[in-house]
Amino acid sequence: MSLKASPTLSSRSGGCTLTGALSVTTHVRDAASIIHGPKGCAHHNFSLLHATGLDNDLAVIPALVSSALAENDIVFGGEEALARTIQAVSLRDVSAVFVLSTCIVDTIGDDVEAVCAREYGVPVIPVSTAGFLGGTFHDGVNKALISLAGIAQPIEHDRNVNIIGEMNLEYEVEENYAEILRLLTLLGLPAGIRFVHTLKFDEIGMLGAAQLNILRDPSLVPVGEFLKSRFGTPYISSFPHGLSGTLAFLKSVADTCKIDGSRAMGIERALQGEILADFADLGESRAVFSGPVSDPVSFQAAQETADALHIQVGKDSGSTPVPVHPVVGTAGVKRMLHRWRRALHA
Amino acid sequence: MKQIALYGKGGIGKSTTSANLSAALSERGLDILQIGCDPKRDSTRMLMHGRFIPTVMDLVRTQGDAAVTLADVEFKGYNNVRCVEAGGPEPGVGCAGRGIIATFQLLEKFGALNGDVIVYDVLGDVVCGGFAMPMREGYAQEIYLVTSGELMSLYAANNICKAIKRLSSRVKSKCRLAGVICNAKGQPREEELVAEFARRVNSSLIGFIPRDRVVQLAELNKKTVIEYEPASAQAECYRTLALRIMENTSLTIPTPLEIDELESLAYSFI
Repeated sequence: MSLKASPTLSSRSGGCTLTGALSVTTHVRDAASIIHGPKGCAHHNFSLLHATGLDNDLAVIPALVSSALAENDIVFGGEEALARTIQAVSLRDVSAVFVLSTCIVDTIGDDVEAVCAREYGVPVIPVSTAGFLGGTFHDGVNKALISLAGIAQPIEHDRNVNIIGEMNLEYEVEENYAEILRLLTLLGLPAGIRFVHTLKFDEIGMLGAAQLNILRDPSLVPVGEFLKSRFGTPYISSFPHGLSGTLAFLKSVADTCKIDGSRAMGIERALQGEILADFADLGESRAVFSGPVSDPVSFQAAQETADALHIQVGKDSGSTPVPVHPVVGTAGVKRMLHRWRRALHA
Repeated sequence: MKQIALYGKGGIGKSTTSANLSAALSERGLDILQIGCDPKRDSTRMLMHGRFIPTVMDLVRTQGDAAVTLADVEFKGYNNVRCVEAGGPEPGVGCAGRGIIATFQLLEKFGALNGDVIVYDVLGDVVCGGFAMPMREGYAQEIYLVTSGELMSLYAANNICKAIKRLSSRVKSKCRLAGVICNAKGQPREEELVAEFARRVNSSLIGFIPRDRVVQLAELNKKTVIEYEPASAQAECYRTLALRIMENTSLTIPTPLEIDELESLAYSFI
């Protein structure tokens, strides 16, 4: 378990659509992503993805290729440069090629879809990601997920539960997944695919088999809806936050899967009791919430935790700042409490 | 060096006027460069006796910028008028506006932008920043609007006034409206109407080119009127225009009209 403070809120300032889409497509590990635009768009994103991967102990070189447009391609159109790039990439050992557009090619009106529709011997999947059209990082994530989901065909449902739209660039991505896996196991439900986190292209074919999709965050609702209409799979719109949120999540998953969740909820409630008992030393402290997080869900979860431990939260002169982080599940609350303890006992 | 640009609605006669103007100016013993700034590349055709010369963008596309030289893109036409066509991408792809910018940069590199007069013949509408290029960066300082008395033609001219007004407000901008050229369709009171339009946009009518069959005949013979029928009244009109442009010092920042103002102006000349 990591106690390192998380670089939270990658959504600050909205971010670039292209980067959001790349955070998804580069996680299809046996595919390559072509950025159709000037070289700089690829360089910048390569650096970001590589550095973030290293931060998460993933020494993976993102498979990015640029169509490397220069001025003449802009004047005469960049479609042939793209076709050449796809051709070259398709000769490598890749199971699929994603083609992501940039601001300039959508400005001059390159028909990326038409170029992708030619025959290359591997599936070529376009994702429209020009940032200037006003989309954010999240829109890029959604567009990439929806484009990828379009490849999968409807198949018979099994008992699996898919995890949809993990924030691949967040520091706690693995811990958060582990927590969801733990909760599913508690309910006796098998995990399906991580759509998309360290996935093989062929595994996308299993996307439609799940009986339930769990979205990382409510911003993925358009993806949840798309999967629902394509595969008939219901979804839960967010990972759980806070103690009561985790219990409600267990109930909601159990209800949707039409199983009895009461035993799992009992076990989880007991676990939460043990954790609170472990942190009883924090009781009666005076604290004030700090940190970069401003979303109400995280504050609610923090407030609920403080109340359970009888920590007084307010802006009194004697209050110690304690950090609020977007915490997932009971394990997230426990991590946050460790940070609070360090702050309050400092 | 005088640098002038002709703008106006598509099909209004900018290229015909430009070519005849260049021909008339060349008769005065001046060194003239005419640059066609339209992917349709037919600005200099009458000066070149019907020949479509290779365009700057064609050569860049087939040979790459590094291989292109001035001799590949500049051609001597009637009376040694130097002719250049910017050209552009195939219709429907790429970015023609950026092509104009690239052409100017290349001509700049060649040191081709010299002589006594440079005539920039620009496509119908200033659809994007690229086609405003001749008005920017100190290229054409004098903009002439070519229009007939038809409302849609005046409307296009008025829109170009908006572009000139915007560009002329920039600190280093030298671009100004120099006058309005009426290339007549032959409607009644046309000269009066265009002169009044010119006055309202804070400029003046610098030339009136009547409608004359000789223009079509010259074109069918792949020549300018100046060359085809040098003694004609029409040729004299172009010579007068050339003289007035050479003597013109009245450069203004235009005051474009609102659409209803423009419509009622046209209406009052029915």
